[in-house]
Amino acid sequence: MTWTDEELVARSISGDADSFNELVLRWERPIYALAYRTIGREEDARDVCQETFLRAFRALPGFRGQAKFSSWLYRIALNLCRDWVRRERRAPVVQAPEGVDLIELAAAAEPSESIEDLVARKDLTKAVERAMALLPEEQRTAIILKEYHGLTFQEIADLVGCPLSTVKTRLYQGLTVIRRELAKKVRL
Amino acid sequence: MNDMNDMNDISCTYGGDRQQTLIAYLYDDIDPAERSVFDAHLVTCGRCRRDLDALDGVRTQLARWSPPEPDFESIHNPQSAIGTHRSTSWWRAVPAWAQVAAALLFLGVSAAIANLDVRYDRNGLTVRTGWSKAASPTAADAPGAANRAAAQAPWRADLTALEAQLRSEIRSARAAAPESLQIKSAAAPSDADVLRRVRALVDESERKQQRELALRIAELFRDVNAQRQVDLTKIDRNLGFIQNSTGVEMMKQRETINYLVKVSQRQ
Repeated sequence: MTWTDEELVARSISGDADSFNELVLRWERPIYALAYRTIGREEDARDVCQETFLRAFRALPGFRGQAKFSSWLYRIALNLCRDWVRRERRAPVVQAPEGVDLIELAAAAEPSESIEDLVARKDLTKAVERAMALLPEEQRTAIILKEYHGLTFQEIADLVGCPLSTVKTRLYQGLTVIRRELAKKVRL
Repeated sequence: MNDMNDMNDISCTYGGDRQQTLIAYLYDDIDPAERSVFDAHLVTCGRCRRDLDALDGVRTQLARWSPPEPDFESIHNPQSAIGTHRSTSWWRAVPAWAQVAAALLFLGVSAAIANLDVRYDRNGLTVRTGWSKAASPTAADAPGAANRAAAQAPWRADLTALEAQLRSEIRSARAAAPESLQIKSAAAPSDADVLRRVRALVDESERKQQRELALRIAELFRDVNAQRQVDLTKIDRNLGFIQNSTGVEMMKQRETINYLVKVSQRQ
């Protein structure tokens, strides 16, 4: 039987630790992905992911279901990411090795994809990472939540605490910057 | 038609907020009525069509950006990451009951120390703890208490044994757990069992701590009393020395006075 998040939360609050484990298994990848895309460092993203679930576990008795569990979890993770950025006092830097390891690439290649195509794809991915790193935090967060986590505009607005129209504006501006940066890459 | 599109390239005539509608349309998160209006607008507006295509292209590029495969093993089992991952969060995987046990141990010792009652009166130094009120160790029976306490297992050995037991519990809990954040697994003992075991460990540890504290206190009594005896002896000896010196001085002065008296009588 598949429990909903809310049911698992209720069971966790009543002392069923397995239910919380189920929530962790269900949400650890999205939370890690959110943290990685926001702060751009694998190790720190893992730490943020871990800390998110620990904080959620401690705060679970106080969770009244006023928001979706996932939104609540995203909020904790985003706050931790924001703390990380402030602590580091710098824009997130996506780890991107300068050299391209062809052996590693070959292992990751699709059967129909040539090494040249794969290198181009990797380059493009790096260009996307760099363009994302250029964005102001609010625009980056809006894009990540919408693009990779499929939240509605209203959910994002509730999560980051701004009007719905602001979310759309941030998305438009962010996507426009990325479009411009990727166009530069193509011209090069 | 083409002429009309070219004209719209210069200026878009869309009535609403163009940017916001573009984004809403792009993500298909738009009111149906607004969608219909914008669909109709797109037919005649080349600029909006191109923007929409470009933004859609950006989304395609963004979709290629995936984070590296997370090493959840190192999150769930921090020991596997030693040397490759910062060890700041190693403690996080320690089972909650072990952390509770450690916290209770600490609290127990702190409470015992807070209960310490130190007195110094004519009976000598008296140190009393909350658990030793029934048989207050004093300076008089301290050596006996020390001997009794010393007869128990050594403190460090007891703590080492307790630590080994805790580590063994943690290892077995980890071994039984699947590779995920473990609060409790189906294979793990029930909460009641874990609590019973923790209580037993805490009780045992508390007894050992009590014995250890009694031993330490007894040693303290013995040392203080020994030092006191030494000090008293020194003081006694010094007083005797001073008395002797004073007596000698008095005798000398008496002799001098006698001599002066004799001399003055002759004159």
